Amino acid sequence: MSHFLLMTLYAALLGVFFATLWKRERRAQLVLFAKIFGSLVGGAILLGWLMYFFPSGPPKPFP
Amino acid sequence: MTGNARRRSTGRALALCLLAWLVPTAGHFALRRRGRAAIFAVLLLVAVVVGIHLDGELHRVVPGQPLTMLFTLGAMGLGAPYFVLRHGLGYVGVPEAAGFEYGTVFLLSAGLMNLLLVLDVWDIATGVKD
Repeated sequence: MSHFLLMTLYAALLGVFFATLWKRERRAQLVLFAKIFGSLVGGAILLGWLMYFFPSGPPKPFP
Repeated sequence: MTGNARRRSTGRALALCLLAWLVPTAGHFALRRRGRAAIFAVLLLVAVVVGIHLDGELHRVVPGQPLTMLFTLGAMGLGAPYFVLRHGLGYVGVPEAAGFEYGTVFLLSAGLMNLLLVLDVWDIATGVKD
């Protein structure tokens, strides 16, 4: 499985879990799921893009 | 509520929490929250199956590494399945596997989720939540 698919699956699992645990009304559950899922997946993609500007470069040689 | 009734109620809540820890989602089933229990059961099952499929680590205490105690407590939150996997089936994970890190996170998360479910059972059993 790809890294992205695993990350998406993990975000979905946590989203459903906390939405079911903390909310009782269907609409509130959907809103919380969207927030958690969006934050995790969107945050990871955003962080990935930010890392584009800070490339790690080749490893430093041993002194 | 009288003292005896309160003690009985607390004892029942503690017993339900123990059941919820040992057999994940059994506490919710016992409290007749069957819909939620079924959802939680599927979520925990998926997390554990994916974690094992990726050869993730089922944490154990490593001497000289104090953080492994916290990780192990989290993983042991899974209850009986942790002991069955660890001691019954001898599962430990494969550090060389490509999905080792992801698998470890899935297994640890399953344990932590079940610990949160135990707290939820306590809240429901003591009347704090519905």
